[in-house]
Amino acid sequence: MTLTRRGLLGSAAAGALAGLFAGCSGKLPEIDTGRASFGRDGRGRVEVWCRAATQTGIQGMVDRFHAQQDRIEVRVTAVPDEQFVTKLATAIRGGRVPDLVDFDDINSMLFIYRGAFADLTDPISTLPGADELSPGHLRLATNNGRIYGLPFLADNSVLFCNTGLLERAGVDVDTATRSLEDLLDAARQVGGLADDIHGWSYPGNGAGALGFTVQPHIWAADTDLIAGRVGRQRGNVAGNPAVRDTLRFLHTLWREGLVPSSAFADDGSRWGSDYVAGKVGFFPSAYDTVVSEASPELLEQTVIKLLPGPRGGRAFFDGGDNLCMLNGAANPDAAWEFAAFCVAPEQQRRLPEGGYIPIRADAATDDFRQKHPLAVPTLDDLDAGYAPTSLAYNLIYNQSDGPWLAMFRRAVFDGEVEAAMEEAQISYDRLLDQAQA
Amino acid sequence: MTATLQTETVRTPATQTRRPRSLTHPPRTGLLLVLPAVAFVVVFVGVPLLVAIYISLTNFPLIGDYRFIGLQNYLLIFTDPAFGRSILYTLLYTAVVTGPILVLGYLLAVMVRSNRRGAKLLRTVFFLPYVVGLTTLSFLMVLEAQPDSGAVNIVLAWLGITDGSTAWLVDGVLGTILICALVVWGVSGLTMMLLMSGMQQIPSEVYESAELDGAGWWRTERNVTIPMIRRTIALSVIISVIGSMLAFTQFFILTQGGPGSDTTTVVMAIYKRAFVQLQLGAATAMSLVLVVIIGLITAAQFWLLRERE
Repeated sequence: MTLTRRGLLGSAAAGALAGLFAGCSGKLPEIDTGRASFGRDGRGRVEVWCRAATQTGIQGMVDRFHAQQDRIEVRVTAVPDEQFVTKLATAIRGGRVPDLVDFDDINSMLFIYRGAFADLTDPISTLPGADELSPGHLRLATNNGRIYGLPFLADNSVLFCNTGLLERAGVDVDTATRSLEDLLDAARQVGGLADDIHGWSYPGNGAGALGFTVQPHIWAADTDLIAGRVGRQRGNVAGNPAVRDTLRFLHTLWREGLVPSSAFADDGSRWGSDYVAGKVGFFPSAYDTVVSEASPELLEQTVIKLLPGPRGGRAFFDGGDNLCMLNGAANPDAAWEFAAFCVAPEQQRRLPEGGYIPIRADAATDDFRQKHPLAVPTLDDLDAGYAPTSLAYNLIYNQSDGPWLAMFRRAVFDGEVEAAMEEAQISYDRLLDQAQA
Repeated sequence: MTATLQTETVRTPATQTRRPRSLTHPPRTGLLLVLPAVAFVVVFVGVPLLVAIYISLTNFPLIGDYRFIGLQNYLLIFTDPAFGRSILYTLLYTAVVTGPILVLGYLLAVMVRSNRRGAKLLRTVFFLPYVVGLTTLSFLMVLEAQPDSGAVNIVLAWLGITDGSTAWLVDGVLGTILICALVVWGVSGLTMMLLMSGMQQIPSEVYESAELDGAGWWRTERNVTIPMIRRTIALSVIISVIGSMLAFTQFFILTQGGPGSDTTTVVMAIYKRAFVQLQLGAATAMSLVLVVIIGLITAAQFWLLRERE
């Protein structure tokens, strides 16, 4: 064989082509979830990926599932939250996927929109008490009327109120939490108690935490910062009165010193430390942030309210996880059997032990209410739960260089509310265009 | 006879241009000898580059199917203000840090180039930040830049420059200043080592002659040392500029590109497009544009820093 320059280049081109095809594998085979035998008599191993933040929740389920039967073995792999989307996408492209993912519901649409998850509409409809499941979770997993995720656990934002401080300041908690104006008045009264006591607290540089706790004020006014159906969404920021009122409320809190000065630089790493120290009157946050850290005395004094809108209404961030089955899953029957086990009421009632809230209204029995009173308010008002369904949520709200945090900081700390909203509108539109291209 | 003459007439030019065949180094042997290196470059550079070019011409998402979209990604890049801003910011950052890294590296090299007592210890001390690495230094800086509690603020307050409550990492300008200072401190050790090795190649007789001619320290450096280590200086600057154009770690750890996109470097913009927006096609196109930009800058540097007769 004669080795020539042309031959060498030809071989290189062939190698390149081979590499190209290897890197571009197609879609995984769809799971037939509509067949009568689906989810019955499963056997063998089920691979489950969960995000690290909710590992405790799913691991408890796995332990109890193993104690109840020995046909199916569930193996859980925890993936760091910030790497979950990338790792799962890479696994799908590589054709080696887990059977089930315990997935952040806010990111579900990224995979649903591109056909990566199995259609679970039929099996969910056959579950006992399916109409008790969280509508917010289901909405985030629904595309074109079909459901691609089973609600598993809730991580909701609510308003924690220190009634000990409120009583000292002469504030009635029910009256104070009707609207943002009432809250501002109450925060002023609480802030007047002492120099080291503040009416409110927020992590002013924590993009995700602010998205989690501030947006419900806006949703409570029946509007959102993103409008339109997935694939054709646009920003709804500039000129939105609820956004303006909410930002003005937060700016006033800052300007009048009703939030600690550390809020300016707090990226969420110290989130809640001032509330659990008993130094803050109102604190919007997650169940686990307070319940796992606060003293029994403070928990005694704590009352939870849903987050009010500028002029009334109530909402909460319906975050948490859905269990989603991957197309191409090796053991779908056993995987569904485990998923159905996880959402059974008796299993759901155990979730607060790990710091999570159930996703079904019928979990709140009398016994549950007595044991976990702070987990009940959202269960009693599941319809008030909401989270935006979008392909760009992570980009807009969770990134430090995203438009949400930029708008918040400019409006709240610099007081330029209108300019911040105008600027955010442009960035929202640009990022949505890119995500939906 | 006529035919023979015609043949010779035709052959003559060809035989004149062809090089004589070497009996000891046949061309095929040469080709075989370079084959492993060529194969290595083809497999690990050529093929990935071809694949990258192809991907940049598609809408390749991290999830789902893809399709060929021609030059659309490139057209979008040039109309995307965020990408343009990230390039400008990276160029600004590069311009700000390159000079101080070179000057500080040079001064440190002057301090440690001799074999005086303690020179080795100083070399180690000055090179230590580079060995520790920007990742570790950045994590340390996250703690030390905290308002009220970080060492940076405590020292500045002690010196009476600030009140100690400066939030360095939530302001674009302050964050950039802090990162530039961190990088100059962390990377100058490498420049020092490169320049020092160049300085140590200069024969001592040259310095002795300069001294006999009455040249002082500054004149000796300007007229002897700098001209004689010109190539090493060029190498240091090129390495420094390429490193700055590819800056990522320190920004990712310290500011995550924020606030807003005030401290978003071009590599961070590419990373976010690929792994946050999950658009590998667009991100690959951005990467290839960056490769071209760095190539042009490096070529310009080679031209500017070339040896002049």
